[in-house]
Amino acid sequence: MTRYKKQDPEITRRKFINAAMGTSAGVGVLSLVSALGSAKPVFRLTADVAPPMKGDVLVHAEGPNQGQVVKASELSEKLVRAYPKGRDSKGNEVIRDKDPTNILAVYKFAPGTLKEPTKLDATIDAQIVAYGDRCMHAGCNVGDDPKGVGQMFCPCHSGQYDATQGCRVTGGPPPAPLPQLPIKQEGDQLVVTGFFLSQPYGFTKEAWEEYIKKVEEAMA
Amino acid sequence: MNQWLDERLHISRLNDKFLRKAFPVHHSFFLGEITLFSLIVLIITGILLALAYEPSNSLVVNSFDPGTADKQNLIPAAYHSALKINAMPFGDMLRRVHHWMANIMVAAAVIHMMRIYFTGAFKKPREINWWIGMLLLIFAALTAVTGYILPYDNYAFQTVGVVYAIVKSVPWVGDWLAQAAFAGQFPGAGIIPRIYGYHIMLLPGILLALTGAHMLIMIKQKHTQPQYAKRLAYKKIVGVPLMTQQTPIMLILALLFTGLVMLFAAYIPVHPIEVFGPPSSTPIPNIKPDWYLLWVFGALAIIPGNLGFELFGGEINAEFIGAMVFPGLVIGLMFAVPMLDRAKDNQYYAENPTNHPVRLAAGTAFMAFLLMLSVAGYKPDLIQAGLLTTANSNAILWILVIAVPVVIYFLTIGIVRMIRALREADERDSLAHAHADD
Repeated sequence: MTRYKKQDPEITRRKFINAAMGTSAGVGVLSLVSALGSAKPVFRLTADVAPPMKGDVLVHAEGPNQGQVVKASELSEKLVRAYPKGRDSKGNEVIRDKDPTNILAVYKFAPGTLKEPTKLDATIDAQIVAYGDRCMHAGCNVGDDPKGVGQMFCPCHSGQYDATQGCRVTGGPPPAPLPQLPIKQEGDQLVVTGFFLSQPYGFTKEAWEEYIKKVEEAMA
Repeated sequence: MNQWLDERLHISRLNDKFLRKAFPVHHSFFLGEITLFSLIVLIITGILLALAYEPSNSLVVNSFDPGTADKQNLIPAAYHSALKINAMPFGDMLRRVHHWMANIMVAAAVIHMMRIYFTGAFKKPREINWWIGMLLLIFAALTAVTGYILPYDNYAFQTVGVVYAIVKSVPWVGDWLAQAAFAGQFPGAGIIPRIYGYHIMLLPGILLALTGAHMLIMIKQKHTQPQYAKRLAYKKIVGVPLMTQQTPIMLILALLFTGLVMLFAAYIPVHPIEVFGPPSSTPIPNIKPDWYLLWVFGALAIIPGNLGFELFGGEINAEFIGAMVFPGLVIGLMFAVPMLDRAKDNQYYAENPTNHPVRLAAGTAFMAFLLMLSVAGYKPDLIQAGLLTTANSNAILWILVIAVPVVIYFLTIGIVRMIRALREADERDSLAHAHADD
């Protein structure tokens, strides 16, 4: 008579349950990750979020003249905030104010005030100059500092810029100068002649170059 | 009725297990309760506010000032509904009570935490509750920040812009993270619905769950006993039971406290959204976060902006270091507090802070550190007032942030030594006199 000998099962009960639980937990978590994808909406490059580009006209961003064209004759050493106004794919006029990075600061200084590193050939007669107005540190809007002509001050973390010297950083945490926007004068209007000369807030140098290439393709 | 319920629900067991919980009699033990009452009032006022609030940032015509037919005055619906809440009977008051209650909840929680820290109540076996308390503090701050944004006036708009920038500063995944958290590139079309969801569903849910765990663990582990309990009955739980002695005290305290906050709110307005106006490109001078986040703000103000460096293709910038890494280290230190204590035995009694001078001094120095960072948050104001200049402000503020806590540390140790010397002298004196009497 042979004795029946109990064989060890190939897999223990504990092992089986652990494997089953692990698999279902993995699948469950993975399925939730896909739901996370819906949290981030797709970015669509429309005319109202596109950056200021060649041919745009500057319009007032605030105050009683909001939406009206900025006239060269009404500019002064006081900051004027403007948005670029361009055209969408159907040819309708559209103010590009849906991206806060498009906000611009426009100044007109006395002759001889604007110095390097301002790109003087991108200004109007070395007098009228436009910069992106979003602080390079945390993206707040930079305002005038009463301390001196062309001095700019960010109210959020007290970053300081000098608008007469290419908006170089003169104090506080900003890591880079405000980007200059090349402009020319047509009649009394200010017209943009190209993209920001350096990266605006929220972009690295490479990311900005990549982005303007994408914009050029999309808007062509 | 009790019997009827008992036969069906066995409420006598509930009574034995929870309602007879002994509460130590000492005023410092009411701080946690005040935090809880604030949370309850916040939920009630929050529900009432949610009934009238419109969570949308799409533009609507401002019914208070519609503009002209060809140039309509368009403002975000959320801001519009906040204006309407202000115009509603008792509406402004609701906003005020909700706002001040939130501030007081954080304040009460912080003072409650100080009580726990200085009396050693975080020690074994109560480490878990210290950690849950820390989580409660963090989530309370997050809830407050999201609540700040909801009126969507220009102040809120500028604030959320900075918060977005902070999230975006996370290396490698920051851009994706910020867009996922705030529904697209700032300011996304869905930003207000998203933050509304956080503020009224997700975060309060987390807060309530954590609060429940906090209290269940407290009931299970029991309070640390005040020193008088040691003299009264050694190693016995001393205090008044929740039902029925503590309950009336709590009710009186809750009502009195709510009444006081309402009185306060009746006279002190919250920030005027009408004055700040709808979101715009106009910056707000001297914009600041609430007081409990001022230290992070101060750290951001004095960290040099060119601190950043590249690491494995990601950019570690000053924003990330100042608003994420540094607060993470500070909060991590607070989390680590129970682990710094090596005692093996369970802690029964609240300790006299002067018997633990190093812990006391470290605590006061830590508070001085955060306070000095908060002062650094006033850097623009200090510069404008002429007390500091742009050139020297960072250096002076850094010296203050480091030197003041060090001074406070040694000052506390010195004062504690003095108190103990006096106490010992007193004891010697009374002993000597006792002998003389014999």
